[in-house]
Amino acid sequence: MAAVSQGFKTDLLGAIPSLRAFAVSLTQNADKADDLVQETLVKAWDKHESFQPGTNLKAWLFTILRNEFYSQMRKRGREVQDSDGIMTARLSVHPAQHGQLDLKDFRGALEQLPEDQREAIILIGASGFSYEEAAEICGCAVGTIKSRVSRARTRLQEILKISGEDEYGPDAISAQVTGTPAS
Amino acid sequence: MKDMTKDILAGAAGRRRNGSGDALGPNSEIGRKLKQYYDELVSDDVPDRFARLLSQLEQAEPAQKKD
Repeated sequence: MAAVSQGFKTDLLGAIPSLRAFAVSLTQNADKADDLVQETLVKAWDKHESFQPGTNLKAWLFTILRNEFYSQMRKRGREVQDSDGIMTARLSVHPAQHGQLDLKDFRGALEQLPEDQREAIILIGASGFSYEEAAEICGCAVGTIKSRVSRARTRLQEILKISGEDEYGPDAISAQVTGTPAS
Repeated sequence: MKDMTKDILAGAAGRRRNGSGDALGPNSEIGRKLKQYYDELVSDDVPDRFARLLSQLEQAEPAQKKD
């Protein structure tokens, strides 16, 4: 059995910020996201031999993380996201210096999407994967990813137009979100 | 952050490859927000537990792989 190389370990470490971002996007919960990343790292370590050097490590890791997420959801019988958890996820994010309020609106809109649409639009629009890579990660056809992204985009536009129009700009709501926990 | 730069580069390459730039690129409000949302998550400080975990896995490995 080949030992895990130092390079593999370094690459895993380097992928952690991306894995955490994807995990939060999927779970919408900071604690669950970190547990998911931990599981992913353990699994990746155990089956490092099935990774082909020179191929996309990030895509390989995202696939493991996603499979782990859905298998946990199946085990738990698709429990409903608890509102406490959602709050944790929101507060764990450091607010940007500008556009704070509408980013908060955006997060709220993203949460309302079904998981399959949310992961598709994140993989394509934020994580930088191609449609082909996203299809491989999700184990579905390229066309399926395309239609999920398109539905997600339409839905986000609808939600943000309806709920966001007169809420832009600084007001009392942003002042309520204080006490970001140190990470 | 090193990894963020990688993500941004990967994003640019991805858009070149698949042409999703029009729908979710910098000219789309949704595309911009999506990147902003995600980049904030990526730049969040990584807790020490992960580096510790990988060190533990590394130390445990020789014993584990005795077959």
